[in-house]
Amino acid sequence: MPLADALSFVPGLATAPAAPAEDAAALRRLAEWCRRYSPWTAPDGIDGIKLEITGCAHLWGGEAALAADLAARLGRRGLGHRLAIAGTLGAAWALARFADRTSALAAPGTERAALAPLPVEALRLDPATAAGLRRVGLARIGEVAAMPRDTLARRFGAAVARRLDQAEGAAPEPLSPLGETPARRVRLSFAEPLADPADLARAAARLAGELARGLARDGAGARRVELGFHRVDGRVETIRLGLARASRDPAHLAELLAARLDTVDPGDGVEDAILAAFAVEKLDPEQIALDPAAPGEDCALAPLIDRLAGEVTVGRFAAQASHIPERASAPAPPGRRPAPVAQPDKPPRPVRLFRPPQPIEAFWLLPDEPPFRFAWRRRQHRVAAADGPERIAEEWWRPGAAGSAAAIRDYYRVEDEEGRRFWLFRAGLPGAAPAPRWYLHGVFA
Amino acid sequence: MSAVAGLRSRIGRIERPAAARHGVLPFGLAAIDRALPGGGLALGAVHEIFGAGGDEEDGAVAAGFAAGILARLGAGPVLWCLKRPDLYGPGLAAFGLDPGRIVFAAAPRDEAVLWAAEQGLLAGKRAGLAAVVGEIGRLPMVAGRRLQLAAERSGVTVLLLRRWRSGGEAAAERGRPSAATTRWRVAALPARAAAGRPGIGMPRWQVELLRCRGGRPAAWRVEGADATGLVRVSAELADRPEPRFRPGAVRPDRGERRTAGAGGG
Repeated sequence: MPLADALSFVPGLATAPAAPAEDAAALRRLAEWCRRYSPWTAPDGIDGIKLEITGCAHLWGGEAALAADLAARLGRRGLGHRLAIAGTLGAAWALARFADRTSALAAPGTERAALAPLPVEALRLDPATAAGLRRVGLARIGEVAAMPRDTLARRFGAAVARRLDQAEGAAPEPLSPLGETPARRVRLSFAEPLADPADLARAAARLAGELARGLARDGAGARRVELGFHRVDGRVETIRLGLARASRDPAHLAELLAARLDTVDPGDGVEDAILAAFAVEKLDPEQIALDPAAPGEDCALAPLIDRLAGEVTVGRFAAQASHIPERASAPAPPGRRPAPVAQPDKPPRPVRLFRPPQPIEAFWLLPDEPPFRFAWRRRQHRVAAADGPERIAEEWWRPGAAGSAAAIRDYYRVEDEEGRRFWLFRAGLPGAAPAPRWYLHGVFA
Repeated sequence: MSAVAGLRSRIGRIERPAAARHGVLPFGLAAIDRALPGGGLALGAVHEIFGAGGDEEDGAVAAGFAAGILARLGAGPVLWCLKRPDLYGPGLAAFGLDPGRIVFAAAPRDEAVLWAAEQGLLAGKRAGLAAVVGEIGRLPMVAGRRLQLAAERSGVTVLLLRRWRSGGEAAAERGRPSAATTRWRVAALPARAAAGRPGIGMPRWQVELLRCRGGRPAAWRVEGADATGLVRVSAELADRPEPRFRPGAVRPDRGERRTAGAGGG
């Protein structure tokens, strides 16, 4: 009905412009708030929320108590609502919207009986199909369920049978939660809302201890954790942490969380704090060494690496078994000290290596000799002495090896008149046509 | 007598706070150790290392000199903060520094490099760091002093390798006063292989101590650090008598131009 007609019916009608985007965002926030009951929550359509509470109900003393708690909190926030708990998503959806009570619970296995008196619109069909069912005289779900399936499919398509199966539990209908599901989760509820940062830090420390105990029982460590503070007004403030090394050290986690606590705005107060660990890795118990030698080094460095990793790129040099100089040492994640790789005896390598090698202009007397002069960065260098050549060919066993002569490098260590030493190479065979190019790969100390 | 000795040690501690607090790392070369207060490189302090000539941009000789020092500073990890990703691990191994010890922190700007170095100092002994290396260009005086105080408090040695892109910037920074305990400049010297062998011999460096708190400037010519990280005086340099140091002295000898160096008088 147009707004003018509605205003003529009820003169004092309060109106506001529709804002579907804000409504959707508010629904999302409500779904995030509902995470206090279970990590599997998601918005459902434009006016509903679905929660998977398998295994969570006992924390509240049963499904009825959970429903009562949810109804009480929603009522306190002034949100009109209808609740239903059932064994399948389809049945819960139908009962929430079409049952005659505002809070309906269906015991497991009784979905068919609970759904029978509900109208066919409760099957989540499109309006044309629902109208078609009513036209042939099927007004209740019980009547539709009694019909043979093949006649329903022939007349109305496969959707009706599918929705019936989903509602009764014969077909699966998983719930895709909002965000990622955590591997482990601990929750702390406060009798009174907390707003003091010191209290929040203490809560974070308690949660970190509990999470660490759970992880220790599994023999695992967390690489990513999220701490969510659920405020009384329904917003959720989150702190996200990534760790360089899987850790279940409660002190380390608490310290990192406390460092980020100033980004959390507690508002009027925080009533729940939930710490969730994603990306857990197997973490064997470590022997505490009697002497402070290398095995403890990785653990001692991890807090520093975690602090640096947010702002700068941190890494280590890992030796690889490769002849190609730029591949012989690769950056590696900083969490663990790289295992030493047996390297055959090689001629000296430079302290600075340029990636990619810098092209230079080289002047030589004979094609297979090192140059007597070269120009680099607009400066001329006269070569006083040279060592070499060291031939490094490409690794033909790698897929994608070009196999061209230009991939063969002859390296020379040259020293110029001032005493600076450079690592030059000729890319290609001497005397080949076109003339092979010269590059400067590194500088020696 | 013991009261006088006690007083003397107290005065010594007041005069040279950095060296006394955390110990020293001797160079193993009497000529250099004599010039440094405490008989070696002060630990728990900031030391600046400059390059010379074209090396101001590349910082290769400075990195080699630093690697020799780090090789002898224990077996703990080293935090190397740099701007340009051209550090090559296998090259550092030649100076005795195991590249597996290095944790590098790459940042695009000088301020971020300084921040990373300070974070390393704040973690300090608790993280087990042996040293912190920073490659920076511009170093404001305030930041330098803060770094020196943090180093003294934590006991971790800081080596600052100064690298610039342009000669003008380098000249401006060189003249600036600094809060570092010592300031060094290392340059490569032409090295001649032993007679009869063609090619390049051991690297040779000119190591100059430009500024030293509690000591006097000096210069030495040494062979580059070997696999144990120690610099040595080669045979042909060792037998020369040590002339007195005269800054800027030019003594043409066999067509070579050199500045003679001596230990601190």
